[in-house]
Amino acid sequence: MNSHNEERMKKLLRQALPRVEGQPEPARDLWPAVLRRMDAHPAAPPLFDWALLAGLVAFAGFFPAAIPVLLYYL
Amino acid sequence: MQTHPYLRAYLAGAFLPTLVLPLLLTVFVVVRIVLKVPVPIEQAMIFPMAVVPSLFGLWNMLWLGSHAHTGAPIGLHGAMLPLLMAPVGGWVACSLGVLQFQSHGMVWFAAVHLPYALLGLGWLAALAGYYLVWKYIVGLLNRVLGIA
Repeated sequence: MNSHNEERMKKLLRQALPRVEGQPEPARDLWPAVLRRMDAHPAAPPLFDWALLAGLVAFAGFFPAAIPVLLYYL
Repeated sequence: MQTHPYLRAYLAGAFLPTLVLPLLLTVFVVVRIVLKVPVPIEQAMIFPMAVVPSLFGLWNMLWLGSHAHTGAPIGLHGAMLPLLMAPVGGWVACSLGVLQFQSHGMVWFAAVHLPYALLGLGWLAALAGYYLVWKYIVGLLNRVLGIA
């Protein structure tokens, strides 16, 4: 690429990309927040999943004879 | 470097049934050999030993290959597996004499009587169980192995 084309490319790029207004960098360092999120404990299971688990336990409690059949499929 | 994501998906899927199998074998030894209970558990062990771990692994491979297109969460994908396993397992059980259909209900292992009315509830329990197992156990293994 010769210098003429290079200048033309720069000009086209400046025209195509909008100028960043104001402060180009975030006001604070975001990396500690990323690290905190990575170290955070996973979210608790939703209520729906607890309800399913309770239903399963109730099923096994009311119909214990079905437990071997369920184990057959695991 | 080859990362073999499908091999890892297979291993993650087959992990839980492979872990449960020795426990079932222990129960089998205690019930059949120690307590000498006349229940045909030998035949009943064929499906959990030969089919279930492979099916779990292949199902997880299918999820890995398809979830980019379908967007299906892994719990929902796992809950679909009984749709395949129930008829296959039932057919294997019938063929081996583990399951018998009678007028009042099903007889599993020549000992466990389950009325037909329980079929729907058992089906829901299977869906719920598979949903939870796949969401929390297989999903965790997939994350640990770096494929989810």
